[in-house]
Amino acid sequence: MNSTIIIKNVRSAAFLLAALLLTTASSYALDLAAVEAEWTPPGSATPVNMWGFIADPGTCPGAPVPWTTGPDQIEAAGGTLTIQLRNCLSEPVSLVIPGQPTTLNPQVVLDGQDRPRVQAFTHEAAGGGSAIYTWNNLKPGSYLYQSGSHPAKQIQMGLYGALKVGSYAGAVNEVTLLYSEVDPALHSSLSPATPLNYKPKYFLVNGQSFAPGEAAPGIAAGRANETLLIRFLNAGLMSHTPVVQGPYMKIIAEDGNLYPYPREQYSALLAAGKTLDALWTPVKEGSFAIYDRSMSLSSNGAPGGGMLVHLNAGTDRFPWILFIPAITGMGVPVVP
Amino acid sequence: MNIRIVKSTMLIAAFGAMFLALFTNGARAAIDGISGSSFNLAVRTGQISTPDGGSLLMWGYADGAGLAQYPGPTLIVNQGDTIIVTLTNNLTVAGAAPPPNVSIVFPGQQVSIAAADPGVLGSLTSEATPGATVTYEFTATNAGTYTYYSGTDSALQVEMGLMGALIVRPTAGVDHAYNHQDTQFDREYLFLLSEMDARIHEEVEFFGPGSIAATDYIANYFSVLWFINGRAAPDTMAEANLALLPHQPYNILPKMHPGERLLMRIIGGGRQMHPFHHHGNHARIIALDGRLLESAPGLGPDLSHEVFTVPSHPGTTTDAIFEWTGKGLEWDIYGGTDVDRPHDCNGKAVGVAQDPGAPEFDPVTHEYCADHGKPFPVIMPQQPDLTFGGFFGGSPYLGSLDALPPGEGGLNPNGGFTYMWHSHNEKELANYDIFPGGMMTMLFIEAPGVTIP
Repeated sequence: MNSTIIIKNVRSAAFLLAALLLTTASSYALDLAAVEAEWTPPGSATPVNMWGFIADPGTCPGAPVPWTTGPDQIEAAGGTLTIQLRNCLSEPVSLVIPGQPTTLNPQVVLDGQDRPRVQAFTHEAAGGGSAIYTWNNLKPGSYLYQSGSHPAKQIQMGLYGALKVGSYAGAVNEVTLLYSEVDPALHSSLSPATPLNYKPKYFLVNGQSFAPGEAAPGIAAGRANETLLIRFLNAGLMSHTPVVQGPYMKIIAEDGNLYPYPREQYSALLAAGKTLDALWTPVKEGSFAIYDRSMSLSSNGAPGGGMLVHLNAGTDRFPWILFIPAITGMGVPVVP
Repeated sequence: MNIRIVKSTMLIAAFGAMFLALFTNGARAAIDGISGSSFNLAVRTGQISTPDGGSLLMWGYADGAGLAQYPGPTLIVNQGDTIIVTLTNNLTVAGAAPPPNVSIVFPGQQVSIAAADPGVLGSLTSEATPGATVTYEFTATNAGTYTYYSGTDSALQVEMGLMGALIVRPTAGVDHAYNHQDTQFDREYLFLLSEMDARIHEEVEFFGPGSIAATDYIANYFSVLWFINGRAAPDTMAEANLALLPHQPYNILPKMHPGERLLMRIIGGGRQMHPFHHHGNHARIIALDGRLLESAPGLGPDLSHEVFTVPSHPGTTTDAIFEWTGKGLEWDIYGGTDVDRPHDCNGKAVGVAQDPGAPEFDPVTHEYCADHGKPFPVIMPQQPDLTFGGFFGGSPYLGSLDALPPGEGGLNPNGGFTYMWHSHNEKELANYDIFPGGMMTMLFIEAPGVTIP
């Protein structure tokens, strides 16, 4: 259906598609491991049990590793992505990427009354085992990769990361803002609560949160007057509404699908599981807050903290710097 | 298409007619607010009243020395002007701890802080410490509908009431939303949607804001009250600036004539999404976040689209044009051949055929002439068989009143058509679980000739 929409608006879509940095088809192999992990909330000394994707260390870690979101997968449009997943957890895990077509093999198990029930969207790596996943002809855009097994439980346990395919014309720099939440009550190893009662206390951007009174995380966002690609991804179970201070965003794609025309907004509805790509140009050097207007701006109940980061735009590139190499014969200067 | 709303019958018990603005000049077609380019706002405490009999502590922006209000004063400015807003922190709180800092952010505006009154730097903007001030400046570069709210501990302070609307009038004139002819309107109304979790207000009232951290109310939010322009129904339909609601000066009671263009300025003022459902007709969304939905600058809202429920997201603003003529009803809204209500459509009396190629609508009454003279397609039951609502004037025809039993009717003195405009999250049509109420008002289609202030 989405492709139909693009075809209908073929003139504008072609304009944008042509601008995408497409490269020749190529194959990539990345190895991930699903592991036991721990995340220590801001203002707390007690770590929360998590599950996470990490770059495969070759053997399962002997102890929980520090948790963060899965490693970014950066791929070229049209290429093939192959991931070998090592499962260091005790229950089966799988990998899916909503929006990237591949052949799925739903796993059906029989329940106690011999009724078939779907356990996973595709083939799994058994506890202690491994499995290989392949996506051909990668579609450009931003995507979540996440567990396809018991997703109500496993995704909020921390099994997610970002897949970034290609880029967009005009984008000089890019940042990824991966939103998610943590409800520690679901992570207790002794008596985990059911996802039905999901009530997150921590609101994360890129696996980070901060406590009231602490400085919000800063993210390098290129330079003033350089266009920044912001990849929004929501791996949480709740909807969020990022609002950016300063200039408007041009939202250009949703779920990896180009809009026929950019949408100029300062806010973006980021529903659970959704991705948005936006272009944004800081008009001056400085720090621009981007925060959740749905008010996931608290940490363990206290106002302040939560889904707030600062996009830090560096000094503008002075035009005369560009001429220095020509004048002096020096190499192209490296501007921090 | 247009089914006349009979839902209103259920509302009558809740509505004290004495409060209703229908008979008065209290309802204004223009949006209430304060105009200019320089504003002095102060944060104070107040109490808001809810129709369930409740009273909640709120923090509100006040106009100068005025009362704190929910929402804050609607700031109405002209495109191109330099806007200066000085904020004074007069907040008081329970408990031994000092009051918090307060601030204002203006999403979509390029705000700078006055060097002479810088306040202190907070996480989103500069803030006013207790008893002190801070001054914000920006140029109202673009026309449109915007919002402002506290940038200090926003999850708590916006919930407490620190939010409001900003309207930038275009250079094209006060009857345009933006600088394009397709944004011209005859009437405009503000729909600033918000909600409250009463537990937070009670906690702050009794123990001060510092005690919120010991609860999970902010993270595990649970709203129980829903508002348009700071009022919950039926107070939405009461007069503006009512002495009984000193901290909630704004009402919302949209009225229009057939054929007019009504601009809905819808703002997500709270932290939750609200599907704002307008009965009567579809509305065309022309702008989001103060930007026309256009494919290229100057083309006008060529990317606009029609909806019957406006999805209002937190912090987002939506402009929509609503029109109503009665086309599609398939009966004559001014009276068919079944009654003696003489009127013309394109100069033709009831029962007289239209000329070939005649205009679709009468130029004065905006009657849909293809339905001219068609009778109301229902045989009206005898009065003993009817249950009446306060908005029913005794006749199905626009601008007509007929006999009602004693004590019935009374909320629709001009025989208008009424349509409920409300959150389509039906749970929000209540005041703390008491139905009806909440995020709801009525649209009045008034007959031509009925004065709408």
